[in-house]
Amino acid sequence: MNLTFHDKTITGILTLLPAKEVKFEDEMENYNFSIAKSLKLKMAMGYNTHRIFDENVCTSDLCAFGMNHLFEKDLLRKEEIDALILVTQSPDYFMPPTSNVIQGKLGLKNDIFCMDINQGCAGFLIGLIQAFMLLEQESINKVVLLNADILSRKVSKSDRNSNPLTGDAASVTIIEKNTSKNTIYGFLKMDGTGHDALIIPAGGFRMPSTPETAKMKEDAAGNFRSLDNLVMKGDDVFNFVQREVPPMVEQLLQKAGVSKEEVDFYMFHQPNKFMLNKLADKLGVPRDKMPSNIVENFGNASGVTIPTAISFNLGDKLIRESYLICLAGFGVGLTWASLLMRIEHLKFNEIIKY
Amino acid sequence: MKLLNIKEFTEMENFDNAIAEILEVDTIELDQELISFECWDSLTILSIISHADETYKVTLSAAEVNESKTVGGLKKLIKSKM
Repeated sequence: MNLTFHDKTITGILTLLPAKEVKFEDEMENYNFSIAKSLKLKMAMGYNTHRIFDENVCTSDLCAFGMNHLFEKDLLRKEEIDALILVTQSPDYFMPPTSNVIQGKLGLKNDIFCMDINQGCAGFLIGLIQAFMLLEQESINKVVLLNADILSRKVSKSDRNSNPLTGDAASVTIIEKNTSKNTIYGFLKMDGTGHDALIIPAGGFRMPSTPETAKMKEDAAGNFRSLDNLVMKGDDVFNFVQREVPPMVEQLLQKAGVSKEEVDFYMFHQPNKFMLNKLADKLGVPRDKMPSNIVENFGNASGVTIPTAISFNLGDKLIRESYLICLAGFGVGLTWASLLMRIEHLKFNEIIKY
Repeated sequence: MKLLNIKEFTEMENFDNAIAEILEVDTIELDQELISFECWDSLTILSIISHADETYKVTLSAAEVNESKTVGGLKKLIKSKM
């Protein structure tokens, strides 16, 4: 569906990355493949290092750390936060919502709208769309969007399909009303018939975790994982992305009346370099306008990859400059979404380590 | 009709070269089993899926590639979807 929003803007992006770095080579021995084959995969997909948070850290800790950083630097004030949206697939608990936990932890006002959203690869887009919708309310003037995932803990270390590309990260994005009379164009689609293309089969109510679901089994391709682990149908995801994303972006730009050349950057979800380069070529967009360097440096942290790509590739430039940016997220759900918006003169756009 | 045949012939000759390159060998025989190639793994399958998408606008699943068994079977599979 087509979406439009008016007079709203992003005013700051903070990305939190783990200090702990794991090299692809250090984990090759976990995989049931020859070194030569694994090195070939590394080359083709653009794998190198990925970052993971320490075992005892949870989503609410990361979000509170990031927001406290902003409070301390006076980049954000507690009393001005009217809504807190958390997009994660790694909540602290099934109940209560982790956004409520964060609100309590930070001592935010009670006059606030907290909500958790379970979305992944398109999570930054879904979060922004939700923020724009909340800002339609008179009493909501500033929304904090939190994206956080710690999926490294759900991926089998012997799964060459998912482990080398998975990273952890969190981000804090501030969305506000503005008076510049701008229009944001959006496009969104979902297809739940593909809900098993990316899934953690056990651990929910459908299939509670038991000693049986924890048993490691080998798949047809030689990867070892249990039903408690994340599993991805790589070929289905590849075909879905190549089929749906280029027409989605074409339609978005057409609706907005903007040519591909007029867009300064295509900040897309980062599944791997291979898939992003294919997307850039298919769309006829220069590869340097569509950064694909997040997986090789930090890993794919689901909904956090787009803010990471913006903070890492544009940094301070976004404080001084103004860019027309096309955002696109696609994956788990299946969900695919895109937004075309001007991002400019941010109060902050930085990466901190945890 | 003749033109179409020539076009088809050229496409399939290119197919042989491209598949040989993906399978990391100089030449291929139609009766060769896909799993017999030294380099055969999930990345090779993804390379074939990507090549079919780019060159022939044909969508293949990993299961279909595996079920096609041989180089000739793979060729037939792609042709059947063109």
